[in-house]
Amino acid sequence: MSTGSSTGIRVASADDIPEGEGIEIPRDVTGTDDDIALLKDEDGSVYALNNTCTHEVASLADGWVEGGKVECPLHSSKFCLKTGAVEGLPATKDSVAHRVEVREGEVFLYPGERPA
Amino acid sequence: MTTTSEPTSEPCITGATGSPAGALRRPAELFQPMDVSGLVDAEGGYVDRAIFTDQTLYQQELRRIFAPSWLFLAHADQFHKPGDFFTTFMGEDPVIVTMNKKREVKAFLNNCRHRGARVCRADYGQTRNFTCTYHGWSYDLDGQLVSAPNQAAYPDTFSMADWGLVEVPRIETYHGLIFGTWNPNPLPLREALGDMAWYMDAMLDHDEQGTEVIGGVHKWVLEGNWKLSAEQFATDWYHVNMSHASALMVMSPTGKGPKDEIVHRSGRQFSNELGHGAGFPVHPKNRFDARTVHQHVDYAALRERLGDARVEGPLTNGHATVFPNFSYLPVNGSIRIWHPKGPDKMEVWAWTIVDKSWPDEVKEAQRLYNLRTFGPSGIFEQDDGENWSEVQAISHGFITNGVPLNYQMGLGSEKHDGTYPGDTSELYSDAAGRAFYQRWKTLMSTPAWHEETSK
Repeated sequence: MSTGSSTGIRVASADDIPEGEGIEIPRDVTGTDDDIALLKDEDGSVYALNNTCTHEVASLADGWVEGGKVECPLHSSKFCLKTGAVEGLPATKDSVAHRVEVREGEVFLYPGERPA
Repeated sequence: MTTTSEPTSEPCITGATGSPAGALRRPAELFQPMDVSGLVDAEGGYVDRAIFTDQTLYQQELRRIFAPSWLFLAHADQFHKPGDFFTTFMGEDPVIVTMNKKREVKAFLNNCRHRGARVCRADYGQTRNFTCTYHGWSYDLDGQLVSAPNQAAYPDTFSMADWGLVEVPRIETYHGLIFGTWNPNPLPLREALGDMAWYMDAMLDHDEQGTEVIGGVHKWVLEGNWKLSAEQFATDWYHVNMSHASALMVMSPTGKGPKDEIVHRSGRQFSNELGHGAGFPVHPKNRFDARTVHQHVDYAALRERLGDARVEGPLTNGHATVFPNFSYLPVNGSIRIWHPKGPDKMEVWAWTIVDKSWPDEVKEAQRLYNLRTFGPSGIFEQDDGENWSEVQAISHGFITNGVPLNYQMGLGSEKHDGTYPGDTSELYSDAAGRAFYQRWKTLMSTPAWHEETSK
């Protein structure tokens, strides 16, 4: 794995993530305070949010990904995949979205950078 | 038990699940066992109608029949991936049957440990967790409590590990049929089936691949005590020509009624002390009714695998009940459970199973044949439901309720016939009914594990 804001961190192959699901990238790889969830929507596009739900301790990487949103597997709070904005109770705080790019089937993560 | 209560000789009913109970102690008055020995005379062939109507007896059935017995939960084919679940009942207790991440099938009481709502409201599906919709307590696929919102407000003594879903302690599978029991030390399922397993194999063990479920689970509500239907499937070919006369006319190839040899059949009826029963006509040319199924089935291969006695008997026609409330019909692949809903009501849940090895068109033919004959749209099933509801509807009459019912057909005819395992009687007989109610009386008279006094 290489680091550097220009190229990002290669964290996975896009095929590693089933459509409608997510995988968790540990914080010791991302260098962030929280783990990061890579989430693949049904159309195949990949997004990255802070992994821990802002409501209670739950992994968004275990959630349901559908229609531009991820639904928390525990209490069904919803977050926008693009912005991390909370879109449904019981959570009330936004998650954090990170820039992510897929190049030749590989997923590059830019921890801490806002998506374009 | 992890209670801190004083030693007591009171029945330890709180301890049926071993849940933390603090200072709670249930008064013995909540459950005063009734002596039922005078309500069933299996030797003479009499049954007192109160067993179909009395609320106190019904509560005792939940404690002493449903709680300790092996109960059918689901078919193994309903669980393929972690998180696949199916919700059902054990007696009146709601349970979730699910596959955990280790691909083990587990069952849990569908009851939030916090305020007691169900944690899964769906009939079946796929999930990661079971989250209560009331306050949000959430449980994983092993039943462990993994989230209790605002957890910081609970005292230091609160441990998530103490508040998981109550697990059904024993789950066992027989040829794809998943059974569970609340009894922590039951007879192993195979032993609890006894000779009944030989008859079940005639439906479940046609080849190495076994069976699978086709279509959904049909569910319908009937007025009628659960024993009326369980008993009939154990012991009653007698009703067929009378109750199902119109259906038999319609189904006959000429439309003018079946041949004499179809109406006047002979066969055997199995019964045993465990309460199970199965009856079936015996004939060398017995066959599956659905033509496509009949044409596909290799009877010679089945004779090789199951033996002539099974192919000529319980392979095709016939009826059966696994005590207390699981029944099946080999001819159309119907397997069903009679869920008790109070003394006067039952909910029938019926699956259709087919051989995995059958081609799709054969499976579909069996599904359609099943729909036509049994299930809520079935022309035979409607006759049966009408009878049970008729019997129940008048059972509360004071005079009516005190008039004993007759179970004397074939009295004393039970014998080892050298061909069919266990005791068998004639096709037309009440032998399995008498054995069913004798087993009922035995269990109703025996304190269950949860009634043992704490030391």
